[in-house]
Amino acid sequence: MFKKKVTLKILLLLFASDILETAIHFFFKKGALAQDGLSVVDLTSAVFFLKAIFSSPFLWAGLFTVAAVFIIWSTILSKIDLSVAVPIASFSYILVPVVSVIFLHEQISVLRWTGILFILTGVVLVSLSSKERVEQNK
Amino acid sequence: MREGLLITLFMISLTSLCDTINQLFLKSAIDSMKFGGKFNFIRIFKFIFQLLIKPRVWLSFVFSVISLCIWLLVLSRADLNFAFSADSMHYIFIALASRFILKEKFSHLRWLGTGLIVMGIVFVSLN
Repeated sequence: MFKKKVTLKILLLLFASDILETAIHFFFKKGALAQDGLSVVDLTSAVFFLKAIFSSPFLWAGLFTVAAVFIIWSTILSKIDLSVAVPIASFSYILVPVVSVIFLHEQISVLRWTGILFILTGVVLVSLSSKERVEQNK
Repeated sequence: MREGLLITLFMISLTSLCDTINQLFLKSAIDSMKFGGKFNFIRIFKFIFQLLIKPRVWLSFVFSVISLCIWLLVLSRADLNFAFSADSMHYIFIALASRFILKEKFSHLRWLGTGLIVMGIVFVSLN
């Protein structure tokens, strides 16, 4: 009953959830930066810090995106293995450097290119490992 | 400074671990529903609704919130490059949990791919 093949549709969904996930990081980082003056040293200041963060509009934008990602992510998980979905979603690590090369004309070190190559190869291998079998459990 | 780094590393492990537990609960709830067939708007809506009734999903939310809170604390104190490279251990946790708790079948190809991704993330993040 479960076809665990990674189709183009699932890849697109993963891509969408990755972009939204990046947006979440951006929103939350913005929300956290707004509280830069506070330092977290003990439990009381941690609670105070979180309270301050929860009043930030960036946090709420982030939470809204979280809900969207939850829907997309659940749909993906209904189709493929967790151990396939999570690694494939790692291409957001490629997204940021590639975007900074294309739009910001940043230089990328050899080490970073090597890393990008590793991630790409890994993603392809994991996708292929899911294609190998079609499970028949009813 | 060294001590701060260790605490950060510990916090990152904790956030990865919580997120792994969150994913486990979510995936096991979804698997128990056997939602197959085509995607369409109404079916997905129904699917999400049925999913939200499951107590396991709310447990997964709790862990996801814990993970998020710790991650916010990490971001407020750690260097982003370091935080993201250390977060690659997340993929190891997920792989182990999928294999041993969800009993997903791993081929050599999948282990190899996951390993390459973990190394790749460390390379990309450490600059």
